[in-house]
Amino acid sequence: MIRYDVIVIGAGPAGLSASIEAAEAGMKVAVFDENTRPGGQLFKQIHKFFGAKEHKAKIRGFRIGEELLAEAEKLQVDVHLNAAVIGIHDFNSIAVVENEQVSFYKAGNLIIATGASENMVPFDGWTLPGVIGAGAAQTMMNLHGVLPGKKVLMVGSGNVGLVVGYQLLQAGVEIAAIIDAAPKIGGYGVHASKVARTGVPFLLSHTILKAEGEEFVTGAAVVEVDSKFQPIKGTEKHFDVDTICMAVGLSPMSQLLRIAGCEMKEMGGLVPACNEYGETSISGIFAAGDVAGIEEASSAMVGGRIAGAASALRDGFIMQGDFEEKYKALKESLNQLRQGMFCKENRGKTDMTATEEGIPLSNSLLEKGYLLEKEIIKFPGVKKKAGVHPIIECTQNIPCNPCQTACKFNCISIGENITALPVVIEDSKCTNCGMCVASCSGQAIFLLNEDSEDGFVSITLPYEFLPYPKKGVKGIALDRSGNRVCEAEIIGLRTAEAFDHTALLTMKVPSEFAMSARFFTL
Amino acid sequence: MRIKEHPILGTIKKGKKVKYYYNGTEMEGYKGESIAAALHAEGVMVHRYTSKLHKPRGVFCAIGRCTDCVMIVDGKPNIRTCMTLLKEGMYIETQYGISGKEVWQ
Repeated sequence: MIRYDVIVIGAGPAGLSASIEAAEAGMKVAVFDENTRPGGQLFKQIHKFFGAKEHKAKIRGFRIGEELLAEAEKLQVDVHLNAAVIGIHDFNSIAVVENEQVSFYKAGNLIIATGASENMVPFDGWTLPGVIGAGAAQTMMNLHGVLPGKKVLMVGSGNVGLVVGYQLLQAGVEIAAIIDAAPKIGGYGVHASKVARTGVPFLLSHTILKAEGEEFVTGAAVVEVDSKFQPIKGTEKHFDVDTICMAVGLSPMSQLLRIAGCEMKEMGGLVPACNEYGETSISGIFAAGDVAGIEEASSAMVGGRIAGAASALRDGFIMQGDFEEKYKALKESLNQLRQGMFCKENRGKTDMTATEEGIPLSNSLLEKGYLLEKEIIKFPGVKKKAGVHPIIECTQNIPCNPCQTACKFNCISIGENITALPVVIEDSKCTNCGMCVASCSGQAIFLLNEDSEDGFVSITLPYEFLPYPKKGVKGIALDRSGNRVCEAEIIGLRTAEAFDHTALLTMKVPSEFAMSARFFTL
Repeated sequence: MRIKEHPILGTIKKGKKVKYYYNGTEMEGYKGESIAAALHAEGVMVHRYTSKLHKPRGVFCAIGRCTDCVMIVDGKPNIRTCMTLLKEGMYIETQYGISGKEVWQ
């Protein structure tokens, strides 16, 4: 039997981070994953991540995956792919199916980072081909370059539904609507807004009734629900779609921890009871990432590092003092990600009415995915200024701050508190460099030049669709809800390596639309 | 239905073109992609029919969890097509219950 110092199960963001941390401490590390490729779900994440610099904010998920893999390889971590772990026995031995055979490995420490699986809601026709998980849509389009369908109904308005919805649009798929049984959009407002401005309608308090079709999906029926989630008669709506995409939450895949005999608890699915280092009730068995409680990739990476370092401490590969120093920094980084309106304590809260700054929250944003013009002007990122200046439509307290460092001219400030709303500094000089627009993972920053003589203004917006409209092309400007508001002419298109595939599109619109035109279509 | 040019991923990198057979018909896909992806690109939606109610099933989770997408691959039933990579000359058949159509009928 081959023996390692640490065996990590799962080569996703948590598992890879754990293996890197343990290998850096000098441990002999193996990672097992049942997939043909490492990275877990990271390689399907083509959007820019939130957070601060140490959380790899504004870097796209798949690039983070590449970075982690390169690091693990450099540290000679043994990555076993096509290797499904099917059992844990005698505390520290694992049984693995590799090449259709079962083999056994042993380690002083096990770090279980098996992630999560998608939840499902059963409904009439839910087993029809064409009803797919949001993860399946991502796998198809972002890994294999295959379109999941031509027209999709998205069920679920959490961050997964919103992000995958946007990615579907980027791949060239039409979205009929995003529905959610809840009365409010579950994910970040900025994610909802970038979908809404392309014209995708949100139907809150709506549930799916039926997937139509005999052999595969040919349509979908939805219905409005009351406050007790009961269907309201007469509110049925039909959509001609070929795909129904389900984004209704995730559950931890904690079976291996149960097999190992770890003490479990209920927390959105069964999770292991862990101490602050991710160690379970069984000494030497750790859990990290979504399997220890659903969060997101950024916190999974930090959790993985903590578990990796803790296993190194347990076997004496690092000193207590060094560990404590490391842990303090990682814990601080994790705390940052766990703040704001969407943190665990605030999840499902319905009585939040204002931001930390005391600005009223937009009901329009929560119900339709976009802010009203009269609401947006109350936010500190929106100021009237001479010349070109950023308009920051970031209106919820979320842990994210790349914009303040992206601007080298000190136009934007968030301050120490990572969840604070970005402020446009009054007496600053914007140089129109566009770095803030490209750095905003929520695509919520626009550049506005209100100085005009001929009754026109220019608006620069982030644009991640193909084909890019060429300079001189005339089209239609859309407002935040995706409604057509006026004619627009493209007067600039900027792409740069530093923008990382976010193009900066500048359009000229009549000045009365300066605060409403936010998207462009032909 | 393949994406040729993607705003973030650029030109989608593909492996070597390979030939395979779907219910006896010669088809083309790319080495390194899953059988499920190759079939989906060709518009194949139904992977199997359930044994009792004869209901159609296709790709659902695409990450090997749900086993809805299993087919008969090179004569072997219950192969998760989302987890199995396409190879030159593969023989892929719709699964009926847990076997081929002839046996089922």
